Amino acid sequence: MNAIEIRNLTKNFGQKQALSGLDMTVPQGAIYGFIGENGSGKSTTEKLICGLLVPNGGTIKLFGRDYRDADVRSKIGVLIEAPGCFPNYSVWNNMMLQAANLDIANPEEEVRKVLRTVRMEGSASNKFKNCSLGMKQRIGIAMALLGDPALLVLDEPINGLDADGMRIMRDVLTDVTKNYNCTVVVSSHILGELEKIATHYGIVRGGKMIKEMTAEELNADCPTFVALQTKDMEKTMTLLQQKYARVTLENQFIRIYDGVNAEDAVKYLYDNGILVTEISTDKIGLEEYYIDLMKEAR
Amino acid sequence: MEAKFEKQGFLKKLKSMLKVDFKRMFTMPLIYIMAGVCFVMPILILVMTSFMPSTTVDPTTGAETAVETFTNVWQSIGSVSGGEMSMDLTSMCNINMLYFLVAVLVCVFVADDFRSGYAKNLFTVRSKKVDYVFSKSLVTFVGATIMFLAYFIGAMIGGAIAHLPFTTEGFGVGGIIACMFSKIFMTAIFVSIALLLGTVAKQKLWLSILGSFAAGMLLFTMIPMISPLDSTVINVIMCLAGGGLFAVGLGAVSNLILNKTSLV
Repeated sequence: MNAIEIRNLTKNFGQKQALSGLDMTVPQGAIYGFIGENGSGKSTTEKLICGLLVPNGGTIKLFGRDYRDADVRSKIGVLIEAPGCFPNYSVWNNMMLQAANLDIANPEEEVRKVLRTVRMEGSASNKFKNCSLGMKQRIGIAMALLGDPALLVLDEPINGLDADGMRIMRDVLTDVTKNYNCTVVVSSHILGELEKIATHYGIVRGGKMIKEMTAEELNADCPTFVALQTKDMEKTMTLLQQKYARVTLENQFIRIYDGVNAEDAVKYLYDNGILVTEISTDKIGLEEYYIDLMKEAR
Repeated sequence: MEAKFEKQGFLKKLKSMLKVDFKRMFTMPLIYIMAGVCFVMPILILVMTSFMPSTTVDPTTGAETAVETFTNVWQSIGSVSGGEMSMDLTSMCNINMLYFLVAVLVCVFVADDFRSGYAKNLFTVRSKKVDYVFSKSLVTFVGATIMFLAYFIGAMIGGAIAHLPFTTEGFGVGGIIACMFSKIFMTAIFVSIALLLGTVAKQKLWLSILGSFAAGMLLFTMIPMISPLDSTVINVIMCLAGGGLFAVGLGAVSNLILNKTSLV
C-alpha cells in the first residue's frame, strides 16, 4: 500500500490554476524529495494532502483511505512554510500545547524526546519569538514529530538557513529518517542536501508531475562524464566534437559524456598535439539532472 | 512496515481540543485583561457618575435639564421590565456593554489560531471541525461568564464606594439572580456570532471584530427586554434556549465554513 496516492488533482485560486491534473505516488517508508520551481504547485499539493485546502477535482488517498479520514489525519506531522507556534509562548509551552492537541499519554516525556531529536533540549524555556530561523525550523520539525506520525510533510525546511543551520538540519533529518518509522515528503530548492537523504523523487512543473523516480533510477539516469582542461580550450573542443557525440563546456571545463574512457580521451588529444592540464571523472547530480529536465520541459 | 491507525472517536478529539483551548484561554493575558477591565469598569462608572450634578444649566437660556445618573446599584446590571427604551447614561453604560467585549475575546481567540499558523497543526490532525467549533464555543462561553461575574462584583464594590443604595424596588434577589443567569446564557448568542465571523475572517481580526460589532448593534436593543432585573425562570429558559439554538445553528454553519474553505 502506498502512503500517498494522488490522481488527477486540480486546484484553482480564482482564475489561476495551481494544479492541473497532478498524479503522485509515495510508497510507505519513502523519503520523497518533492522538487519544482517556485509556483510549480509543491506547497499547494502539500497543503491539500494535509487537508488545509479544498481540491477542485481529483482524489487523494493516504494509506489507502480518503485524505479526510480522521484516523489517518491524526497521524500526520506537518511543517508548512513556518511552524505554527504562538510567539509569546515558550518553546516548551508550544510543544505541550501540540501534545495536548494530539492527546499524547506522556506529553512531557514525548516533548523531551522530540526536542532531543532536533537538538533543542537546551532551549525549551526560550520564548518562540526569540528563537533564530534555524531554531524555529527545528521546533517545527519537533512539533511535526510529536505523536509518532506515520506521514511527515515538510515544506522547505532548510531554506533560509546558514551553513551551520543547514548542517544541523541535515543531521536532524537523517536522524528522523533513521529513527522514526514514517514516510517523509520533503520539498526543497537545495537539491544537494535533498540528494543526501531522499529515496524517491517527484519533479513537478506548472502544476503537473513531470517525473517520479527512485534514487536508484536517478542514479542510473545520471550520466558519468570526463571533465578536462587544456591550454587551448577552443581547439580541444573542436577536436573532441569530431570524435565524441556529446561534448559540452561547463564552468571552464570540457565535459565528455556517454561513458568515455579518460585515458582514451587524453591519448586522442595528445596525438593531436594537445596536453591535458587537469582531468577528472564524475557523475551529474540531482541538481544538474533537474536543470536539464527543466530545459527539456521548456 | 504497514502503518496502523487508532480509531479517533468524537469524544476523544473533543477532550483533547478542550484541553488545548482551556490551556490557551488561561495562559493568554487577554482573559485576565478582559476580566480586569470588566471589574474596574463599573467601579469607575459608578464612582465618577456619583460626582456628576443632577442637572445641567444651559448658559445662554438658563434652562435646567435633568441628567439621568445612577440612583441605584442595580441600574448598572439592568432595568425593570416595562420601562421605556431610552438612550440615557444608565441604559447605555451597564453590563450589556460586555457583549461587545465578549465578541472581542472570541474574535481574538479564533484569529490567533490562524495568525500564528497554529491552525495548520490543528487542522492537519483534525479532519472534522465540529470539535473545534464546540470547544471554542464552550471555552469562550466560560471566559464570558468570568467577565460577567467580574463586572457584577465590580458593580457591587463601585456601588458601595459611590454610596448608592442597594434597594430592590419592583424586583427581588431572585430576579437579580435570574437576570444574571439570563444575561450569561445570552452570551452564547454573541459567542456563536463572533465565532462564525471569526471562522469566515480567519486571520483578519479587524473584519471579525467589525462584523461582530455590527451584528451586536442589531441585537443590543433586545437584551434589556429579555433579561430585565425582574427576570423569572421563564426569562432564564428563554435565554438558555435562544443561546443554545444560536450556538447549534451558527456552530453548524461555522463547521461547514471550516470544512469547505481554505484554512491557510
